Amino acid sequence: MSAAAGTGGGRGTAFRESMAGTVRLDGEDHARRVRLDLRVTADRVLRPLGTTQARAAGRVRIAGWADDPDAAGELEISPLARRRIRYRISFIAGGRRLTLDGWKSVTPRRPLASMTRLPFTLYEDGAPAGTGALRFPAATQLAPFLSSFRFPRQESGPEAFAAPRWSGAPGRTEVWYTTATDPATGTGLWLHHEVVAPTDGSAPHAHGWAAVFPAGGPVAHARFGPAEWTRPPDGFAADGVAARPGRLTGSAGDLRWDLAEQPAGAPLFTFPRWSWRRPLLPAAQMLPAARAHYSGTFSYGAATLALDRAPGATARIFGHGNAHRWAWLHADLGDAVLEVVAAVSTRPVLRRLPPLVFLRLRRGDGSTWPRRAERTAVGWAGAGRFRCTIGLPTWTVTGRAGLRRIRVRVTQPAERTLALEYTDPDGARATCRNSERADAEVVLERWWGGWRTERRWSLDGTAHAEVGTR
Amino acid sequence: MTAAPRRQDRPPGASRSLTGLAAALLPEGRAGGAGWHARVPARLDAVVASMPLPARTGMRAAAGALDGYAVARTGRRLADLSVPERESVVGALGARPALLALLDVVKVPVLLAAGTERMVQQGLPAPAPAREDPPLDCTPSDRWPARSTADAVVVGSGAGGAMAARTLARGGLRVVVLEEGRHHSTASFGRRAPLDRFTELYRDGGATVALGRPPLLLPTGRAVGGTTVVNAGTCYRTPEHVLARWAGEFGFAPAADLGRYLDEAERTLQVAAQPTEVLGANGRIALAGARELGWQAAPLRRNAPGCKGSCQCVVGCPTGAKQSVQLSVLPAACAAGARIVTGARVLRILVDPDRPGGPRAAGVRVAREGGGTLEILAPLVVVAAGALQTPPLLRRSGLGGHPRLGRNLSVHPATSVAGRFAEPVTAWEGVLQSVGVEELHGQGVLIEATATPPGMGSFVLPGVGRELSAEADDAHRLATLGAMVADLPSGRVLGRDRALVRYDLAPRDADRLLTAVRAMGRLLLAAGAREVLTGIPRAPRVRTLDELDAVLGQVTAGQLHLSAYHPTGTAAAGADPRRFPADPAGRLRGVHGVLIADASLLPGCPEVNPQLSIMAAAHAVADLQLA
Repeated sequence: MSAAAGTGGGRGTAFRESMAGTVRLDGEDHARRVRLDLRVTADRVLRPLGTTQARAAGRVRIAGWADDPDAAGELEISPLARRRIRYRISFIAGGRRLTLDGWKSVTPRRPLASMTRLPFTLYEDGAPAGTGALRFPAATQLAPFLSSFRFPRQESGPEAFAAPRWSGAPGRTEVWYTTATDPATGTGLWLHHEVVAPTDGSAPHAHGWAAVFPAGGPVAHARFGPAEWTRPPDGFAADGVAARPGRLTGSAGDLRWDLAEQPAGAPLFTFPRWSWRRPLLPAAQMLPAARAHYSGTFSYGAATLALDRAPGATARIFGHGNAHRWAWLHADLGDAVLEVVAAVSTRPVLRRLPPLVFLRLRRGDGSTWPRRAERTAVGWAGAGRFRCTIGLPTWTVTGRAGLRRIRVRVTQPAERTLALEYTDPDGARATCRNSERADAEVVLERWWGGWRTERRWSLDGTAHAEVGTR
Repeated sequence: MTAAPRRQDRPPGASRSLTGLAAALLPEGRAGGAGWHARVPARLDAVVASMPLPARTGMRAAAGALDGYAVARTGRRLADLSVPERESVVGALGARPALLALLDVVKVPVLLAAGTERMVQQGLPAPAPAREDPPLDCTPSDRWPARSTADAVVVGSGAGGAMAARTLARGGLRVVVLEEGRHHSTASFGRRAPLDRFTELYRDGGATVALGRPPLLLPTGRAVGGTTVVNAGTCYRTPEHVLARWAGEFGFAPAADLGRYLDEAERTLQVAAQPTEVLGANGRIALAGARELGWQAAPLRRNAPGCKGSCQCVVGCPTGAKQSVQLSVLPAACAAGARIVTGARVLRILVDPDRPGGPRAAGVRVAREGGGTLEILAPLVVVAAGALQTPPLLRRSGLGGHPRLGRNLSVHPATSVAGRFAEPVTAWEGVLQSVGVEELHGQGVLIEATATPPGMGSFVLPGVGRELSAEADDAHRLATLGAMVADLPSGRVLGRDRALVRYDLAPRDADRLLTAVRAMGRLLLAAGAREVLTGIPRAPRVRTLDELDAVLGQVTAGQLHLSAYHPTGTAAAGADPRRFPADPAGRLRGVHGVLIADASLLPGCPEVNPQLSIMAAAHAVADLQLA
């Protein structure tokens, strides 16, 4: 895997294979029928000319002796380079732990026979316990086998996305920002770490701020930097402030924090994944982990918060600068996470278009709706795209994809909102109104001959939202 | 003796041409066949059937041509002629000098068949094994799993393979030894006629030939124990000057420290000088001749404690005295956990080309005796298939890229001479290879008194027809000496699926062979021989040294009966990567995990019988591998 620093992993391989045959156990005078059903996964796309190591899990059945649904092992798939596809599967039979070790020997002279026949030896504690052969019944199993092939993305851990992206080009901005809600007090937190490489080619500088949104008091914030940017291997570090994988520390004004970050969930790409890997859009945002928990201390003035698994998330932005107008929402819905970015580009013509909406609903089973990020932004050549009405104190997003539609209504009361001025790499300024104690109403409906509400979530002061204008 | 000339009846199962050939070349002698003579054609048929295809075809073609000649001359086939008629046909052929050499080649299997039948007729000596064979863990290949794994696979169970297997197994590795031949117990040797064992114990029925000028017979063993099952048991230590050359000139590092490995090999094989009681008349004549001439000679050091002088070394010792590696080294290897698979011909070494750091051996694919294949995965493959089989194996595994692989072949070309004595010698009662005459060893000639069961030696009796019959009847008065010369690496092994050996005798070595013949003749005459059988078809008998010198002045080495016994050097180990396919530690260059541990490893001619040298070198490189 040779993904560029900070862009995460590639794709893997998954398929299913079933084989049947016979085995003769040592000390027995008859053969028993044996069947092997495997789910095979590899961390990379199968390399037909090379060797791929894969994991296998599945079921081993030996007539009258064994039926282990939790067999597990490994495969060495090398049909051309080593001309060998080796299976090593461990399973339990009659209370004994056995290992099936065998391989197909691929020969170009008899491609079908050699690719489908798997002679093997059974071992118990390294000592042979039987021999046999399995055969892949191509007539009945080839179609299911081929159609079972998948090349799922290999979601890397959050640390794979921690490394700084900026590599020297002028006119770039890169952000690590973290928002969290203390479940005990309802206080919202916001830590923003930013590197700006000005358009005029002058030296990049790092700066940022921290803000706290107490439940019963006024919003407080303080800036740190600007400071010289020396690129750390991962995350952000400047002016005594650090945002590294797993740890956030620093101080700004009378705000001080030292938080441990515990990521939960796979990365969530709000913008299309390719736009993070190859920065072709003006900017892209993503979450190394869809949600995270924060534990530690956050002090402001005389008050100190002791956080214990406070829900929130860290997000990353890399691009040319801020949008012309934008709205952002991170809503931890308990069993789901909703991430919304709606933005109007600063480019001359594009700024006349309605906002492009990127909406991602990460559900409890790990799936993301809609499946493709482009779907919400551009729909089908513009038709059916999601819509956003940007405003304050309330902004909304609506859209439909497939058999579901969603309505999101975000309210940022003025007393819970902090207004800050952003500066783009080209010196342009924008005003951001941010609240880590926003309200949100989310309604998900499904079509069953008519629209029926599937889920409804109401967040009272725990949504994280922002609206930017110029 | 029959009163009237009669037609040769064809026994069932023998071809008509071969029946005629046997009857023509070796008619019933004056001693009378007493029944055994009638069985020679059937035996000859069996001998020819065991030969490799080219030799078989050639033999049948020769018999057919002889038959055709008889038809052209008499209108009838050889088998249908009377004894005098056959004699006249064969005599006419024998009068043509150009055909004499060809007839000599055709004679060899006939003499072998006749010698065997005569021995069967006289009653086989049934020597009892002195002791039970030590146990071996042998599994026939058709009972070995189709898929298995090991830490090391050793291809070949001969001197090198056995020693490597023992070393690696004692080092804690799970070792599997693969042997193409079968396992033969000492008891099984005692039960069967020498010739039956001969065709089973030798590759190609013993008819492996090195093509070239002149062609050489190059027999190699094929059984658990390799050629050590069928060698003479002579155990010379590698001479110091050879070791110095290997270490200095070739950079074969283990040679500098080979002494302790030679000591270990000698201990393992219980090597000791052959006691004189069982030496036999052949050896005593050699000693007497040497004493007469003041030459340096002594009973050979052999690996046969308690040798009973059965004179059957070359077809497997029937008493178990000879410590072939299947009785000495392999049992120790098995005791350390090694397992032997018999009837397992290695088709190829499996190589993983995409390993980090370059290609790496992954195991072997093996042809089972009864058909089908099996595979064994192992990170270390020790190639000990012998100097003739190792290069083809590496080539068909895609590992034959080194330009010197298969070259550098030394074979110890050898010839033999017999002396006729007034008193019976009965050379086949005593030790087969008994006495070494080292007087000329400095000139590259090593003379060893070597007698074999009738027909099995490299000495070919002169004449055809009645003359040959008379010689055969008189064979018990013959003493035979053999000599081998330290040769230049003049040969190479070609081929992928079959070894094709090419060897052109170097002029220097041809001179050495003639020197050897003269020395052996001189030795025999000094010992009291009435005449010397030179083995040269044009001048088969001489009575004095002057006559011998006159004969030798007119012949070339190509006219001698040549054979060779000790192929070495075809995957030599040395420091120069351009000259040597293997590095000084025996690892094949260009791939990881392939160790050469047989005679092909030796970088130069060992100049003596090489069993100890091979064992010590294999032990040394296996030790280096473990380190």
